[in-house]
Amino acid sequence: MRPDRGHRQLAVLLAPYLVGLIVLVLAPFAVTLALAFTEYDLIRPPRWTGTANLTALTADPIFRTALVNSLVFGAVAVPLRLLAALGLALLLHRRAPGTSTARTASVLPTAVPEIAYGLLWLWLLNPLYGPISQVLRLGGTNGLTVFGRTPPQWLTDPADARAAIVLMSLFTIGEMFVILLAARRALPPDVYELAALEDATAWDVLRRITLPLIAPVLGLLLIRDAIGSLQFSFVPALVVTDGGPPPYATTYIPLFAYRNAFEYLRYGYAAAATLVMLLLTVAAVALQWRLLRRYGRFHSQ
Amino acid sequence: MTGTGLELAGVSAAYRQAPVLHELDLRVARGELLVVLGPSGAGKSTLLRVVAGLQPATTGRVLIGGRDVTDLRPGRRNVSMVFQSYALFPHLTALDNITFGLEVRDVPRAAARERAVTAATAVGCAHLLDRRPGQLSGGERQRVALARAMVREPDLFLLDEPLSNLDVELRTETRGELKALHARLGVTTVHVTHDQTEALVLADRLAVLRDGRLEQLGTPDEIWRTPATLFVARFVGSPAMNVVPAGGPLTPEGIPADLPPDRQLGFRPEAVRLGGTGTAAVVERVDVVGEDAYAYLRPDGGPVLTARVPANSRPAAGTTVRVAVGWADVHVFDAAGRRVAGR
Repeated sequence: MRPDRGHRQLAVLLAPYLVGLIVLVLAPFAVTLALAFTEYDLIRPPRWTGTANLTALTADPIFRTALVNSLVFGAVAVPLRLLAALGLALLLHRRAPGTSTARTASVLPTAVPEIAYGLLWLWLLNPLYGPISQVLRLGGTNGLTVFGRTPPQWLTDPADARAAIVLMSLFTIGEMFVILLAARRALPPDVYELAALEDATAWDVLRRITLPLIAPVLGLLLIRDAIGSLQFSFVPALVVTDGGPPPYATTYIPLFAYRNAFEYLRYGYAAAATLVMLLLTVAAVALQWRLLRRYGRFHSQ
Repeated sequence: MTGTGLELAGVSAAYRQAPVLHELDLRVARGELLVVLGPSGAGKSTLLRVVAGLQPATTGRVLIGGRDVTDLRPGRRNVSMVFQSYALFPHLTALDNITFGLEVRDVPRAAARERAVTAATAVGCAHLLDRRPGQLSGGERQRVALARAMVREPDLFLLDEPLSNLDVELRTETRGELKALHARLGVTTVHVTHDQTEALVLADRLAVLRDGRLEQLGTPDEIWRTPATLFVARFVGSPAMNVVPAGGPLTPEGIPADLPPDRQLGFRPEAVRLGGTGTAAVVERVDVVGEDAYAYLRPDGGPVLTARVPANSRPAAGTTVRVAVGWADVHVFDAAGRRVAGR
């Protein structure tokens, strides 16, 4: 076989993916990039405005709120999600009665369509008949908790609503769980037997063996989830809290961009917000990459 | 230095319902080096894991230094183990690997370091302490694993085929060092191997295991000169001992007339004499290994016999030679394969 036939075959096989990448990802990205410097409302043709959108964003208090909300959400939700997935993976990596059911249960919420998941939580969080509030009111009187306090007002109090969005995100960790489960199961068993012979405590084993050995996987998941966190706040905020309660307590950047584009028809402005989100993502990845590289140099051979 | 280092009393073990060890009784004197020898699947590693507590004994008791440890967890038995894979922590330097057991037992860092350096010096890996396992060769890893096992001064060393991952040259060298190390430290040691040379060289006493049962326990000399069963006789020695039926084509010189006909006669390849008088046999093949040659001979109507002869007087393949063996070199076994005393 001549070498160029191999190349041609490779090109043919890659073509569908490359077409998809260009049409569905790169082209919209280029359009967004261009729109960010224009004013466009779908009716009149786009008008070049230079950096006016970006300057307007910096002065926009709603955008500033959305930015802070997104950053806080990422900073709180990502470590908690990673911790939850790691905890479940370490708990369920052994073969024992009930573990396969528990593993399935851990992955299942991730498989639920996002909108349905949001609607389900709308019911779970309902202050009157929602199961979560009912459980919290158990043993209390007059609709208060057993400690005599008001249960969290998930949908009406700004801080509680933000917590609700984080809470919702803690159950869609199926992918991370599966990856960590596989990573833990791939670790050599004899190393753990040696630790048992040395009478290492569970804490020592976790700290000195398990965590260092799966650190590369954890690092990868951290980067991936940080990228994702800017996006997966969108559906809960849209469906469950509707960006509220006032003042814009759960308006994150994706929702901000969505509202501006599809409700206020300010496409240029929305594109500029998206651009900021993209830059944030790149910055977050670069920062974590540097940290991981430094750790990696010191950790692996 | 007298007393019992390790005692197994009626120990059985199973792997997923399938029995692996059958009511094993074994005593190892304090300071003794016992080599457990057997083919794959004989239960050697299981024996070690039961002693270490990594696998439960389904029956029987395990005593280390007279202390019943059957129900103690591995960390409370004060044993050290060198795994076949060495089980070094890939993310830790050699030094941190060696001090691991001390640090989890809250020995101060400086003291742990000092003891690690002493142990590393004893096995000759002191210059490797700041490297990680990925940067070490097989032999160097093995030394680090040994140093890690030594550093805690255990009551019992368990070595699970520690030399099997080394190349032949290094294995021979390390074998000698292991022996010297044991002589110096005097810690009771159980060393598992399937390599008979390693077993014969290292052992104070040798336990030959087959299908989870003890075939024979004795000094290397006893195992070699008076194998208790046909299995031991054929398993120890390379090439394996020849076995012929008592009434067969080859009759040893000086065989007693009253020998029951169901006896089996075993003799080592070294005992076979070629030339002169004896039974006629065809030379099927000759393997030359340096100074030695192994001739595979087929007497008329009999099984193939192996003879070890000097390479410079070896017969040519395809020729017919005379084969004889002296009665003094013959081991006699009954029909069930057990040694018959007094020939």
